[in-house]
Amino acid sequence: MHMMTVKQRGVWAVLLWPCLLTMSVPLDCKEEQGSLSRCLSISQEKLLDRVIQHAELIYRVSEESCTLFEEMFIPFPLRLQRNQASYTCITKALPLPSSKSEIQQISDKWLLHSVLMLVQSWIEPLVYLQTTLDRYDDAPDLLLNKTKWVSDKLISLEQGVVVLIKKMLDEGALTTTYSEQGLFQYDVQPEMLESVMRDYTLLTCFKKDAHKMETFLKLLKCRQTDKYNCA
Amino acid sequence: MVGSDGCSLSPYTYTCIMAVSSFSSSLLLPLLISSLDWLSTPGSAFLSDRDHMTSSAPLEPHFTECISRDQETFRCWWSPGTFHNLSSPGALTVFYLKKDSPTSEWKECPEYNHSKRECFFDVNHTSVWIPYCMQLRSQNNVIFFNEDDCFTVENIVRPDPPVSLNWTLLNISPSGLSYDVMVNWEAPPSADVGAGWMRIEYEIQYRERNATNWEALEMQPQTQQTIYGLHIGKEYEVHIRCRMQAFTKFGEFSDSIFIQVTEIPRRDNTTPLTLILVFGIVGILILLMLIVISQQHRFMMIVLPPVPAPKIKGIDPELLKRGKLDELNFILSGGGMGGLPTYAADFYQDEPWVEFIEVDAEDADTAEKDDNQGSDTQRLLGLPQPVSHHMNIGCSNVISFPDDDSGRASCYDPDLPDQDALMLMATLLPGQPEDEEASLDVVERAPTPERGERPLIQTQTAGPQTWVNTDFYAQVSNVMPSGGVVLSPGQQLRIQESTSATEDETQKKGQECEDSEETEEKKQKELQFQLLVVNPEGSSYTTESNAQQISTPPCSPMPGEGYQTIPPPPVETKPAATMEDNPSPYILPDSPQSQFFAPVADYTVVQEVDSQHSLLLNPPPHQSPPPCLPQHPPKALPAMPVGYITPDLLGNLSP
Repeated sequence: MHMMTVKQRGVWAVLLWPCLLTMSVPLDCKEEQGSLSRCLSISQEKLLDRVIQHAELIYRVSEESCTLFEEMFIPFPLRLQRNQASYTCITKALPLPSSKSEIQQISDKWLLHSVLMLVQSWIEPLVYLQTTLDRYDDAPDLLLNKTKWVSDKLISLEQGVVVLIKKMLDEGALTTTYSEQGLFQYDVQPEMLESVMRDYTLLTCFKKDAHKMETFLKLLKCRQTDKYNCA
Repeated sequence: MVGSDGCSLSPYTYTCIMAVSSFSSSLLLPLLISSLDWLSTPGSAFLSDRDHMTSSAPLEPHFTECISRDQETFRCWWSPGTFHNLSSPGALTVFYLKKDSPTSEWKECPEYNHSKRECFFDVNHTSVWIPYCMQLRSQNNVIFFNEDDCFTVENIVRPDPPVSLNWTLLNISPSGLSYDVMVNWEAPPSADVGAGWMRIEYEIQYRERNATNWEALEMQPQTQQTIYGLHIGKEYEVHIRCRMQAFTKFGEFSDSIFIQVTEIPRRDNTTPLTLILVFGIVGILILLMLIVISQQHRFMMIVLPPVPAPKIKGIDPELLKRGKLDELNFILSGGGMGGLPTYAADFYQDEPWVEFIEVDAEDADTAEKDDNQGSDTQRLLGLPQPVSHHMNIGCSNVISFPDDDSGRASCYDPDLPDQDALMLMATLLPGQPEDEEASLDVVERAPTPERGERPLIQTQTAGPQTWVNTDFYAQVSNVMPSGGVVLSPGQQLRIQESTSATEDETQKKGQECEDSEETEEKKQKELQFQLLVVNPEGSSYTTESNAQQISTPPCSPMPGEGYQTIPPPPVETKPAATMEDNPSPYILPDSPQSQFFAPVADYTVVQEVDSQHSLLLNPPPHQSPPPCLPQHPPKALPAMPVGYITPDLLGNLSP
């Protein structure tokens, strides 16, 4: 366990350095005529690369958070529930492609929108997760930091995808329309185990969706760069 | 984890978790855990990492494994367990549930492979990120279902092993004992890494041939990796596997490759050779050092030869050093008794280079006309002359040493070429009192060209003197701007007393004046000067030592110079020229009779050469007439003008 913690800390440290990169250059530059735009505009390819990088990191950290949480809070026999729990993910209702062939059939626009939907639907639950994790007595700081990081990065990922949509599809800014508020009843204070299981479910679902986002974006990139090789 | 009846089911407890949730968390979890531990599952879910095959209960048909290789298809294998009656093909059917909507239903396996008990899901039936649950059903609808057999496809991906594994040698350590290899491979063809569909990282493991434990290198997504520190001579086995990044399930290992690097024999050959070379070089260096050290002095002589010190015969070299000009002046002027030895008589013997300028009496008149001056000889002899030619009076007491402190301004030509210890003759006959320095130049330059310098320093005494019937000197009557000295034949000399000198001189002339001998001959006749030691009756020079006639070869050492009239330089040049090995300045020694100088105001004459071979110039003007040179038995100078020592004679005397 100690080795895992040390390793995770190391990975955590390594993962945090891209934050500097992503924070230094704003993703979106408001191009207003006549105004001094202080930010540098970024090319579409670079933006897409950066978004993919975000998604990859988010997935990796979420996977680590899930593992950490599982080791800390979930008894071993219950750990397999994660596979079944994916049915109750909050994003199950979203009309998203679920196979490579399906992804290849849908357009860029829809792909981007799918990613945006996913991102936007997870922003709020992650914030909720932070609050519940704080309520645990012995939640390790590493876990808390990771989940915090993920929720922050998700917001910047959303910004990046919005800009990408604007650049690639020439659409206007989109508002958050996909958040599903009904799933979480904040008034009811959940019991410990239920809370734990719910958080576990949340984490596994988020991990799955992060992987989905990453794959979507990568396939999109393949389409952008080399249409012939992305069979 | 809410089941269909609202009760969360756990395969281990078969209890409703909802009922459990009423307990406080602090009590619940330990109870739950403890209760779970000693319960065994009838069927082991293939996804579980723990080995639940501990019970002796009958093992119902179950799935052994579901694997996807490319995240686009997957396969599931089942086993009948202990229910052998169900082991026949077709006895069990596979159903799956794809939980992509609340209304999804169980469907049968799309593709059976009964020989392997495998159910294959092709691309059309495979969806990622959507949970699948697998179920076995017997013919009589007995369902064998384990809830743990639910999965999402990306979580069961085990990529194929990488292909084309090979290695290249990177380098061998200097010690020759270890080496590094670079292993490279390709991604499994089934995994669509290029499109980004799967992100794969690789793990290399290696071990020695007969070892049991594998060494695992760090996982990384590149398709090459370096293995460091393998030992020469040992054989290594290397294999590789991969998995999806941030996932847990590894694919299978690839086939092993074997790496072995044997010793390179040539290293053994080169190492002793290098050692031998090194030692040999070191030994040679030491030997050279010893030689140098032992022969230190000789090397010093070769590398840093001693610089010859300035030397004047008869003069202490110490005096020639900087700062002692006054003393030297004094000595050279004949002040001290340890002055220049009187070598005058000896100087003219056998000196081929001594030349005397002979001036015929006939030509004296013509020369006079040319010069438009009074007879120089007459002047020399003290005949009344305008005392305008004191041009070099300023130089009279000046010995123009090539010294910075000397009174060079007036008598010394700063442009003279640098000769070691060049003593320049400052003889300027005041025939044309114009250009002291010019005439000095000529005088001084003349010796330089061919044979080095035999500068003749002549101190001039005051007062012109006229020579009756003789021309002792080659009078520089004019100095051309180009540096040529115009000599006028002047007065007659007592030629008859100076025949021997001529002979020697002509010999020299023959050598020197190849080019313009004819003209020289003529002019020689015209300008036959003799430097004679003249009796100072009425003049201060005896002519007894008229050693040589100094012909006036037109061949000047500087053929380019424009000598218009009689080439005067021979006086200066020839004698100077032949003085090869004596760079020290020369001063024609005057006869010991100092009063010789009195009638010869135009010349600075070396009066004496003292014992130290230093020349005394400017002897006291009113001395008693010196005895004739023949009175100096040691060296009988033939017909030498008293006041002059030609450089070669001087050279004769030098040690």
